Amino acid sequence: MLDHDNLARCALRRSEAPVAKRTTSPFLQFIAINSVGKTFAARTGSSISVLDCVDLTIAENEFVSFVGRSGCGKTTLLNIIAGLEDATQGQITIAGRPVTGPGQGQGVVFQQHALFPWLTAVDNVAFGFRKSGLNKTDRRQKAMDLLTLVGLEAAASKYPREMSGGMQQRVSIARALALDPQILLMDEPFGALDELTRIELQHELLRIWEAQRKTVVFVTHSINEALMLSDRIVLLAPNPGRIKRVFDVDLPRPRSRTEPRFNALYEEIWDELST
Amino acid sequence: MSEILKTLRSNDLALGLIGAVAAVGVWEICARTGVVDPTLFPSPSLAISAAAQRLTAETLADNLMWSLFRVFSGFILGALAGAAIGIAAGWYRGFGTIVRPLIELLRPIPPLAWIPLAIIWFGLGEPSKLFIIFLGAFFPVVTAAYQGMRSIDPVLLRAAQTLGLDGLPLLLWVAVPATAPDLATGVRIGWGLSFGVLVAAELIAADRGLGYMIINERNTGGSVGVIIVGILLIGALNLLTDAAIGAAIKRWVGRWHGA
Repeated sequence: MLDHDNLARCALRRSEAPVAKRTTSPFLQFIAINSVGKTFAARTGSSISVLDCVDLTIAENEFVSFVGRSGCGKTTLLNIIAGLEDATQGQITIAGRPVTGPGQGQGVVFQQHALFPWLTAVDNVAFGFRKSGLNKTDRRQKAMDLLTLVGLEAAASKYPREMSGGMQQRVSIARALALDPQILLMDEPFGALDELTRIELQHELLRIWEAQRKTVVFVTHSINEALMLSDRIVLLAPNPGRIKRVFDVDLPRPRSRTEPRFNALYEEIWDELST
Repeated sequence: MSEILKTLRSNDLALGLIGAVAAVGVWEICARTGVVDPTLFPSPSLAISAAAQRLTAETLADNLMWSLFRVFSGFILGALAGAAIGIAAGWYRGFGTIVRPLIELLRPIPPLAWIPLAIIWFGLGEPSKLFIIFLGAFFPVVTAAYQGMRSIDPVLLRAAQTLGLDGLPLLLWVAVPATAPDLATGVRIGWGLSFGVLVAAELIAADRGLGYMIINERNTGGSVGVIIVGILLIGALNLLTDAAIGAAIKRWVGRWHGA
């Protein structure tokens, strides 16, 4: 879908207020978000713009976080990349192929309560292999391997209601990895967890990301969390949802909250967020 | 802790039993001392001996089996149809828009009000009773299935979609199990209603079954004792089957749903 008016309008917007350097290298454009907009028809007959002229490219194996206030459209943008929602303007491509729906190499981890409550931990993960053509024994075997990866092999036969929030999110990550997706999309996955569990899972996620070389797009409310994890932080602003600024997090891992550069970046993002 | 709970619970049961036995005792004494008229309200021992005299084990078993057979077949047909239509109406928006008003229009009609029509349509044989019991199970189950489908957490469907499921597999592997707890409630209510409707249908138009047994005793001027034993038997049967269904549901969804 090429809407020339939209493309021209967004090009003009970019030239007026550049938010980031544009790259043309195909390796650096693994996920390409081109002039994406999303509008809802409101009940009054007018339309509400949730996202407007979003342009962003994400490189392969990159860890990118979306940060912003409620209503800035960060979850909507994630859902459009996941193929769960359609963009009303513009287009997203993954490795050059336009996103037309879910299951094109995007694994998704939701905030919480997204595990199937009628399945045990191992069967929730095995559910991820339903489309793989494997038989039941192989599915369970592979699911056990993934549970081991997230450190939950001992809880394989527990149902979600018998697990803590942190365990549930570990299972969610394992399930999202089932089809070996190139991209891991995470929608505030640790937002409902207590501080200690959250930090534990952040380390766990970095370990998995480094071991499996995935491209991660991570939505969060927490500047701290984004700084601990990401290569780049995309700051979105509301009304309409748009990219305000992109920050490079040029800090070696593992990172420490006490580093001066960490705190300088925190202040910089906070200033941009509150103006 | 669990030990204490266990003792308490078994004590609750014991106390309940004591209450029931006491009530039977009071009844026996009242009937024997003439506080109540024994011809209208015979003592338990008299009622049981009258029943034992007038009913052979064979006729009793025959009536019981017929009642059970009727209620099971009508209930299973009604629950299956209710589940299928309720799930389809919740999943396929167009189908739901067409059938929901019709269901809502027919639902307030008590199943027993259909009896005259059922007799005209199906005669006095088994199909008319099957139809009434079917209605008793159908409406609670169809309503529960539809409500259950409408209240599925959308994130479960999204999660399954990201794993490549859509269409019929999404319905069968995600939507239907997600609806199971609501469906189970509907099934239990449907069973109770089917059972009530069964006895009423047998009172009005049947030549065997527990309902027939008690109304026939009344019509032929038999013993009040048989009627009393009959209705208690009907109650016990309902209690037992409901408990069995409750246990089956607990096994089915209890561990993951916490019901």
